Amino acid sequence: MRWLLGPYTEARTYRVAAYLLVGLAFGVFEFTVLVTGFSLGVGLLVTIIGLPVLVATFLVARSLATMERRLARSWLDAPLPRRRLAQHEPNGFFWARLRSLTTTPRTWSEVAFLMLRLPMAVLDFTFITALISAILGGFAQPFLVAAGVDTRIGTWSIDTIAESLIFLPFSLVLLVVGARLILGWGELSRRMAAHFLGRLDATELKHEILDILARTEGADAFRILDELGLRLGHGSFLTPTRVEATLIALQSSGHVTVSRDGSRPVFAAA
Amino acid sequence: MDEFGELALREREARRIARRQWFWLHLAVFATLQVFLYVVWALGSASYPWFIFPLFGWGIPIAAHAVYAFVVQDAEEIMVQRAMREGGEQE
Repeated sequence: MRWLLGPYTEARTYRVAAYLLVGLAFGVFEFTVLVTGFSLGVGLLVTIIGLPVLVATFLVARSLATMERRLARSWLDAPLPRRRLAQHEPNGFFWARLRSLTTTPRTWSEVAFLMLRLPMAVLDFTFITALISAILGGFAQPFLVAAGVDTRIGTWSIDTIAESLIFLPFSLVLLVVGARLILGWGELSRRMAAHFLGRLDATELKHEILDILARTEGADAFRILDELGLRLGHGSFLTPTRVEATLIALQSSGHVTVSRDGSRPVFAAA
Repeated sequence: MDEFGELALREREARRIARRQWFWLHLAVFATLQVFLYVVWALGSASYPWFIFPLFGWGIPIAAHAVYAFVVQDAEEIMVQRAMREGGEQE
């Protein structure tokens, strides 16, 4: 019973419920902005205005994704990178900026998340409002009947206290399991956010590792992984395999040199 | 292989096992539902074999999931394995 009712005493449950409730407003706004921006930008590509509109839309998408990332991290405890790594964007006019934005895989996964946010938010909102209504409905029914309010379900009119108590057991069951249902449903949003917004591009990881090595006089892979965890947080975006593969790539490109400290390889910026 | 390499190897193995477990769970749900649909068809008019539509409609994603679970490797995994092979050859 504690497993079922315990979440009611945890702030996490209410944060997830709030995320499910407000998500619809965010989803509508984000979908509208992106569809309008992309439609306008692509439609006006034959003119001089199209490119700036497209660049602006991608930049707005990035800002919205950053906001969604913070929301998911704080309200859903989603394992996402803690801060947006500085993009090394080329100086240049819109064409160069657009090319840099559109060739980054993270941009497309962010746009995909923002587009999927609306249908997911509709499902989230429907679920949470249906759950709350079903819970409150069974408890409110006897009071409504006592107050003389005419309540009907289809052609069945509920006009006695005995009839109004029929839904009470269902509401009680939903009340008991409700918190776990909210957390379980929130897990879907959490996983979706982690999948789409939790990307860490290889280029970003390389820059981050090079920054770490520049500040230290050599570090082994464990220290690099710890330092990355402190900077970015922990999640599936930061695994030993990713760090190992990135170090191999940096070695191959000559940005990093390796020496040995006993059996452990020590990496340093070249 | 150094300690970090062993840690990375264990992490890759754990990820591979998790992928395969999810596939087996998917396959179990698929098989159960397909048997159920077949029984519904058999107990009904048993004329037009409509059960083949969900069988193939869901079978194709199952096949894709199998490929993802047993064949596909991440680019990083391939890079690390290649580097390990080259390191072994040099030694």
